[in-house]
Amino acid sequence: MGFESYHPAINLFYFVSTIAAAILFKQPVFLLISYLSAFAYSVKRNGKRAVIFNLCLIPLIVIFAMYYSSYNHFGVTVMRQNFIGNNMTVESLLYGVTLGMIVATVFMWLSCVFSVFTADKVVYLFGRVSPKLSLFLSIILRTVPRLKAQAKKISTARRAVGRGVNQGNVFQRIVNAVCIFSMLLTWLLESFTTSSDSMRSRGYALKGRTAFSIYRFDNRDRSLVISLFACLTVALMGYLLGQTVIWYDPKIVMNPITPISFVFYMGFAVLCLLPLIMELWTEFRFKKTRCQL
Amino acid sequence: MAHFEIKNLTFSYPTAKGKHSLEDVTLSIEKGEYVVLCGKSGSGKTTLLRHLKSVLAPHGKHSGEILFNDIPMDKVSQRDQSAKIGYVMQNPDDQIVTDKVWHELAFGLESLGTDQKTMRARVAEMACYFGIQDWFHRDVANLSGGQKQLLNLASIMAMQPEVLILDEPTSQLDPIAASDFLNTVRKINIELGTTVIITEHRMEDIFPYADRAIVMDSGRVIADDTPRNIGKLLYEQGNDMFAAMPTPVRVFYGAQGEGDCPLTVREGRNWLSKAFPEAPKVSTFPAEPLADEIENPALSMKELWFRYEKDSPDILRGVSAEVPAGSLYAIVGGNGAGKSTTLKAICGICKPYRGKVKVFGKRVEKYKSAELFKNCLSMLPQDPKSLFVKKTVREDLTEMCRNEQKIAEVAELCQVTALLDNHPYDLSGGEQQRAALAKVLLTEPKLLLLDEPTKGIDSFFKETFATILAQLKIQGITIVMVSHDVEFCAKYADMVSMFFDGQILTTDTPRRFFGSNSFYTTAANRMSRHVFQNAVTAENMIDLYKQNKEG
Repeated sequence: MGFESYHPAINLFYFVSTIAAAILFKQPVFLLISYLSAFAYSVKRNGKRAVIFNLCLIPLIVIFAMYYSSYNHFGVTVMRQNFIGNNMTVESLLYGVTLGMIVATVFMWLSCVFSVFTADKVVYLFGRVSPKLSLFLSIILRTVPRLKAQAKKISTARRAVGRGVNQGNVFQRIVNAVCIFSMLLTWLLESFTTSSDSMRSRGYALKGRTAFSIYRFDNRDRSLVISLFACLTVALMGYLLGQTVIWYDPKIVMNPITPISFVFYMGFAVLCLLPLIMELWTEFRFKKTRCQL
Repeated sequence: MAHFEIKNLTFSYPTAKGKHSLEDVTLSIEKGEYVVLCGKSGSGKTTLLRHLKSVLAPHGKHSGEILFNDIPMDKVSQRDQSAKIGYVMQNPDDQIVTDKVWHELAFGLESLGTDQKTMRARVAEMACYFGIQDWFHRDVANLSGGQKQLLNLASIMAMQPEVLILDEPTSQLDPIAASDFLNTVRKINIELGTTVIITEHRMEDIFPYADRAIVMDSGRVIADDTPRNIGKLLYEQGNDMFAAMPTPVRVFYGAQGEGDCPLTVREGRNWLSKAFPEAPKVSTFPAEPLADEIENPALSMKELWFRYEKDSPDILRGVSAEVPAGSLYAIVGGNGAGKSTTLKAICGICKPYRGKVKVFGKRVEKYKSAELFKNCLSMLPQDPKSLFVKKTVREDLTEMCRNEQKIAEVAELCQVTALLDNHPYDLSGGEQQRAALAKVLLTEPKLLLLDEPTKGIDSFFKETFATILAQLKIQGITIVMVSHDVEFCAKYADMVSMFFDGQILTTDTPRRFFGSNSFYTTAANRMSRHVFQNAVTAENMIDLYKQNKEG
């Protein structure tokens, strides 16, 4: 029902643009928009866990700003001198806060990325680049849990004849663990031989491989892509007009905020919040139709 | 036009020193035929099947010719081979390549370069035909063995092959999943006209429906006829493969019956009714004495309760049993009922949260680990492969015990002396099972636990295995075995227990146990229960039949 049900290409487009914007747009208003939307959206997606994670990031921002300003001394507005006689400046402190905010925002966006992107979306996106690459990725995704299961099987079997990793003296335990590990490798090779037979027998070696996908590009995907692009264009116009930059060294300088600036702010905010708004709206509509039944 | 035409095919592996794995094989397989290929393990079945698809053909010295649709095999293009000849292998897990069910279904089509639209339609079609739609989006890792093998079949059928070659596809499956799978194969043959060539241990589900059976022995085709005639031929030759025939066939020839040989249980019942129009004089074996109170049981379990996670459902729900010393005790029951977990609870790998396990009168927790697994108890796991950790069988046995004389003795007992220098992974299923047993026996257990010991081994090896177990019993070893294989339990066990819903429901001697069941019982009992009261194996039936006819 949420953003994850849209086409993976749109998911990718959205996250690449928001994360890039978070890094590039250092102007406080843009940064704040970025920060708040990332906060809100990660809470919407991950619930309580996200709240805890995001709140933990705040002290980190503060600590980072303190650390940064005590090692960098550019700027003209001196607050005070520290104990070795270096100047603590407002500029470097604020720049530290900005950097900390950027890192926190990116982390929060990434937590959204993990909840939206499942492994098969990644595999699909790679498949657009090269079908072989995506197949390779898919094989790895299958092998890892199999290896775990086999390791467990072997270790259980060995425990039942008194040769487990937690039986015998320390020396025996190490020997037992090494045995299991070496056999696991043999087993893996053996099972790859069969897999490769099965792949070849289904024509793996043929030229012109295509990649199957379970995703479709629907009208709702198109409309979302158009809106995202519109917002991104507005934000990029702000970028070209120098609305998104700020200098801290030697002195805080940024372009003046004019009424037209608010158009850029609006555009950027909508870009960042679109999935959240959309998810809330869909849930609201779903509830409403339920009530009417 | 024959579909496959094999002419004088001879083949030897490079390492075989001139010994032929296939010798002068000449066969012709027609379009739409359902052919079953049988033979002991090592008779060259797999080698022959692999020759029918040249990407899988083993390296070695070939001579002779194979034609596919009248074109020599090596001239058939890769693309045609991939699409038209489907090949299903033994191990359901190793064949699956990708991590998602839908991706696996599309794998073959991706290779052929099919466009997205056609692929969607084909995949949907396959998912519906095979009943996969409910688990279409799942991870392959979460499927059961039966589902995995069905997925392998479906992903091959998506390419719409003309021929389906199956190499012991059900040897790793439980009986219910196996017969589901074989029914699907049969359905494909009947509804789509796909040619099917299959090798199988489980003859009961295939033999009656096959158009033709081909018997192989040491790389040669020794018989090629309808299933009904094959039974007769093998009996007259006194061939070892006769033991693999379905129960009705074995009973018919064993009892020297008259008329047409029955192939299915239904035909067998009719044949028996005809043979005994009136109730027979002797319809039952003399009653076995009821078991006394067991004194000093080798193993006793009292109301074991166990679950894997705190919030997961109980797997064991009050398991109680007592196993008399020196007996072969079998536990039968459905898949996932908790049989294997019971064995793990006995050897302390799973710790029950309620209840007591006593091994030789002492609680299992009271044993030190070294004490318990030396000279007392050990378990043969379901997958014998998981027990091997070395490069040769000999090294693997040495790991357990340094005494060479003892190794030689045990190897002799388990009949693995000739295999000692092979890599354990190169052995066949039955050989692996025996080598693993040898390894387990070197801990000198007095209580031996076996988890599905007959899985994936053919009937000939089963008999060998049973003789080994009998010898162990003579040495005074108590054996507890869990199994799906009712035929094996009926024939060789001293006591049989029914495991259901996390507990042991009934325990009795095989004859009383299976004699009183009407569904969950052996083919022999289902075939004869309207005439004889408690004949549970083919041998029982032959015995009663002869008593009545002769005396």
